[in-house]
Amino acid sequence: MISGSNLEQVLTSGQFTVTGELGPPQNGNFDVVREKARILKGHVDAVNITDCQTAIVRMSSLTAGLIALAEGVEPVMQMTCRDRNRIGMQSDILGASALGIKNLLCLTGDHQKFGNHPQAKGVFDMDSIQLLGMVKAMRDDKKFQCGDEIKSHEPRLLLGAAANPFADPFEYRPIRVAKKVEAGASFIQTQIIYNVEKFARFMEMVRDLGLHEKVYILAGVTPPKSVGMARYMKKFVPGLDVTDEVIERLKGAKDPKEEGINICVDIIKQVREIPGVAGVHVMAIGWEQAVPEIVSLAGLSPRPGAKTVEPRLRSSESIELIVSNAKKDAKAEIEKALEQAKAEAQVSRDLVVKEKERVTSEISGLKRQAREAKAIADQKEMEIERLTAELAKTEVGRGHVQAVRGPAEKRESSALSTRERSVLTSLRSGLEALSKSLGINEDQLEALRRFFEAEFLLHMDTAEQVTVPSEKAAVPTEEIEKPKAGARHKEVVNLVAKGNVLLHKNDAAGALDAFEKALAIEPKNQKAGEGLKKARDAYKIAALAEEVAALAVPEGVPPCPEELSSEEWQRKWVIRFVATGNVCLHKGDVDGALKAFKQALELEPDDEKAKAGLLKAESRETAPVLVPAEPEVPKKAEVLPTPEPKATPVTEEVKAEAKKEAPVPTAPTGTGNLSVAELPKETRSLSERAGSITEDQFTEACTGVIREVSLDEGEKALTVGGASTLPFHLFEGDMPHVPRIAYDVLDLEPEDWPDVLGKYYSDVFSDPVAWARKCINDYGAEAICLSLVSTDPNGMNRPSGEAAKVAQSVIEGVDVPVILWGCENAEKDTETLREVTNLVGNRKVCLGPLSDANYRSLGATAMAFQLPVVASTPIDVNLAKQLNILLENLGLSLDQILMDTSIGAVGYGMEYSYSVMERIRLAALTQQDEKLQVPFICNLGREVWKTKECRLPSDALLGDQERRGVLMEAVTASTLLLAGGELMVMMHPKAIALTEALIKGMM
Amino acid sequence: MIIAEQKPLDEILEIISGVEKLLVLGCRGCVAVCSAGGDKEVGILASALRLGRKKAGKPIEIDEATYVRQCDPEYLEPLKEDGKKYDAVLSMACGVGVNFIADRCPDVNVLPALNTLFYGANLSSGEWAEMCAGCGACILHLTGGLCPVARCAKSLSNGPCGGSVGGRCEINPDVPCIWHQICEKLTGRNQDQLLRKIVPIRDWRPSGHGGPRRRIREDLLP
Repeated sequence: MISGSNLEQVLTSGQFTVTGELGPPQNGNFDVVREKARILKGHVDAVNITDCQTAIVRMSSLTAGLIALAEGVEPVMQMTCRDRNRIGMQSDILGASALGIKNLLCLTGDHQKFGNHPQAKGVFDMDSIQLLGMVKAMRDDKKFQCGDEIKSHEPRLLLGAAANPFADPFEYRPIRVAKKVEAGASFIQTQIIYNVEKFARFMEMVRDLGLHEKVYILAGVTPPKSVGMARYMKKFVPGLDVTDEVIERLKGAKDPKEEGINICVDIIKQVREIPGVAGVHVMAIGWEQAVPEIVSLAGLSPRPGAKTVEPRLRSSESIELIVSNAKKDAKAEIEKALEQAKAEAQVSRDLVVKEKERVTSEISGLKRQAREAKAIADQKEMEIERLTAELAKTEVGRGHVQAVRGPAEKRESSALSTRERSVLTSLRSGLEALSKSLGINEDQLEALRRFFEAEFLLHMDTAEQVTVPSEKAAVPTEEIEKPKAGARHKEVVNLVAKGNVLLHKNDAAGALDAFEKALAIEPKNQKAGEGLKKARDAYKIAALAEEVAALAVPEGVPPCPEELSSEEWQRKWVIRFVATGNVCLHKGDVDGALKAFKQALELEPDDEKAKAGLLKAESRETAPVLVPAEPEVPKKAEVLPTPEPKATPVTEEVKAEAKKEAPVPTAPTGTGNLSVAELPKETRSLSERAGSITEDQFTEACTGVIREVSLDEGEKALTVGGASTLPFHLFEGDMPHVPRIAYDVLDLEPEDWPDVLGKYYSDVFSDPVAWARKCINDYGAEAICLSLVSTDPNGMNRPSGEAAKVAQSVIEGVDVPVILWGCENAEKDTETLREVTNLVGNRKVCLGPLSDANYRSLGATAMAFQLPVVASTPIDVNLAKQLNILLENLGLSLDQILMDTSIGAVGYGMEYSYSVMERIRLAALTQQDEKLQVPFICNLGREVWKTKECRLPSDALLGDQERRGVLMEAVTASTLLLAGGELMVMMHPKAIALTEALIKGMM
Repeated sequence: MIIAEQKPLDEILEIISGVEKLLVLGCRGCVAVCSAGGDKEVGILASALRLGRKKAGKPIEIDEATYVRQCDPEYLEPLKEDGKKYDAVLSMACGVGVNFIADRCPDVNVLPALNTLFYGANLSSGEWAEMCAGCGACILHLTGGLCPVARCAKSLSNGPCGGSVGGRCEINPDVPCIWHQICEKLTGRNQDQLLRKIVPIRDWRPSGHGGPRRRIREDLLP
């Protein structure tokens, strides 16, 4: 016997050996190891205690093995070369041997990379074969690895090694086993076998080397717990060959655990058949419970009894001795204690009896005493009752009166208690607030107040009346007088209150009655007196009103009675009507009011009150009435008063005209039907629209102001600009100057104007002066824009001198401001405009367009003559700003500049113009961009009327041609006005009328 | 030869923080051959450092030089004085060079630019592998010239462990199992009895586990 271990005994006996495996925990839990050992006990011959398997730190094999040993389970200690050097190993081996471990499995160890400490330094002082050699030498040669002698108690361990039949090179594996056997291995445990066929081939080679006779080979088996576990083993555990068959069996199994056990049992049965296999090594790590079942199912139960398994930590005899001694002592002590207890019990029993007697006698004595005491108490109680009854008669009543008198006195001293006063005060303030918001007048407020007060007091009185009876029941002393007086006063108050209530309800008669009653009781009561007066007045008014009602709505004024003159009589009736009207208004009867006022006006058309009343009544109507009275369109021809309000009167007229004019376009006469009534509008005050949002939350004051540019001088001079807010945002700022419209006049007869436009000017086409005059006289133009299209080098190319003369005649021929608009050829314009200015001298015409090509020369001219200019740029914010800056650098003032940022008509790029203008305006007003604080001029007429849509004839799809064109121009103009346009140059008189109506409406 | 690789640039910048005048010193020995610290690498590193420092707003003055070797005293002579001019000398030689400068030029503040890795050979352009562990007790005649100390993860002496599968080492399928190769080679040469022989436990002293090693050739001593 090498070690004398149980494993050795079973192996050498020739029985099919079974070893198990126990994995220590990753902590210091003693009980876990003990539990596992207990599960395996008796089912295996020895248990491998793994040593930091897969390089994961666990309780050491040595210590866990000792715990197993103490449970009577024989451990096979494992030691790897990865974690210890030869010194450490030999040291542990000595310790293991000293404490009774008898089997050692020598392993190389999985590389540290696999575990939870991959950064550790792998020791690998030696390999497994060298380790086997070292321990063998310790055991058999009694020598340490260095050669030093082990003087006594050398470790006597059965040595084992591992073999992996599935590693490569396959052919080398049996050779490696041979080396291990040579080095000192007595048994071999293989890696887990799933591929039985390959194992069989391995065993063949082993047998060929004759190893099966030199070493006991235990086939390694494991029950796979699940498919996952099988896959994990296949993938991650080095040197494992898990067959697909196994994985398939597990996949298809209903109960994988059961299948796993079956797989294991099957493999055991198979390998048992292979010659040279001396046993199995069942590795059920984490599933030790399966081992008993596997061993039994494989037919390997029962195991031979483990006789030689004994821990060295404690000898059994000593334990037995201690135990028996302890038992004896314990017994003796118990007996002694028992005796003592018995004696004590007896003594206490006697005591108890004595005590009992004593207590009984005491109790009876006490009972007797209690009875006597009770009798006395009863007597006393009767006495007390008698006395209290007597007392009650004398004192109780007085006390009660006292309680009642207090509040009554208080009420006497001041009519209302503080609490009541505060309630009424809050009522009053509430009513005042109400009155303010509802606009109730003083009288109404007073009435309401009285009413509430009265109600309050009424209710108070009813509460008081509850207490009154107690007063009445009071003892008849002089105190009786006061309550009675109080009651009387209360009645007066009641009546006064009632009177007020009735007053408020307009029941004058009832109120009168109530007040009279009150005064009857208390003639001096001030409130009653006042109330009476009011009631009398109300009664009178009511009577009068009845009269009036009876008289109201006569078909005419009744005949004048004899006493009065007709004028007086009329006056009276006028007054009456007015009064009726007011009453109706007050009642909300608008129709009645209207009627009454009208009647009054019939009698006396000049009556102010009636007029005012009528207005008031009318203003209560919701439909806006077009006021025909005052002509609001002064500069136009006389307006035809439209009898009923129409949405777009213009359309009617246009339609009518169109029908009239369809066949032959003839020039309409001067007093054209251009009337544009006020555009219907609905105004709501800003506060109403804003609702609960306060103005300061939404109004944004702008920091900038647009400069004012004046065109011309004298009476007809125009000023544009000056806005300190976004277009038409009058709630936030100011627009001191209304946007203006200039009429576009060409200096030659246009060839391609659509008739719907041309017909308005066709009689003056050939004479620009007449044309300009027509605009002013017939259509009310405030300014003229003379377009010098004749000078266009691509067109007529009239010489600048000639064109200048024509321009001069126009300028001198009108007294309104004139804007000169060149042909937009920079050089030609410079020439032409210079000529013009030379000719007209100090007449302040506006020169345009200046572009970056000709701004210098024209700018100089403008400076010299102090003329305003039009700065023209393609649609771009920066270019506009730049041109302004350049002009300013030249010496012009920004007060002389009008910006033209290029116009597109609606559908032809209006949005671009709008957007650039808006950005410029925003920068000017909110971003302190001074160079852009300049008014806009929009030459939009020509842009609109050159479009295709203005030339297409009327048809069902596109509608009437003239209307179409007019609306296009008006829409373009209105949009650009909203962008900030201050001076619009337009063509069609109707479009201009519409635009002006819009401007007026928005201002 | 000694295979080394340049430390990451961030690490080098960290190492030279505070240095305002620097000498980047290359070596035309092993590190030049494995393209880690030769003339070219000196130039590249110096520019990178200048840029890096400039970017951080802390410009640095860098001189460049390359010696034939930094492991022989005669080549380091000039550095004894020259090195004093600089706040630091960033050596692009292997650890040997850095150490030697530290020894021989005590006034020079020498800093390492490289991580020295292993003794290796150039497998192909840009790839080097460890070949020798410098164990001081070469047994390559027993293993067909293939070193299990350097090229086996566990430095085993008696054949492949149970983790060798498909000729690959258990630690990484990219790593060949050298023992597998040794077995094949020896078997191919009919030397497989070598494989059966039990190789005794190694004496690790010559490998450095006995302390820093020295080699002396008596006949060459001055």
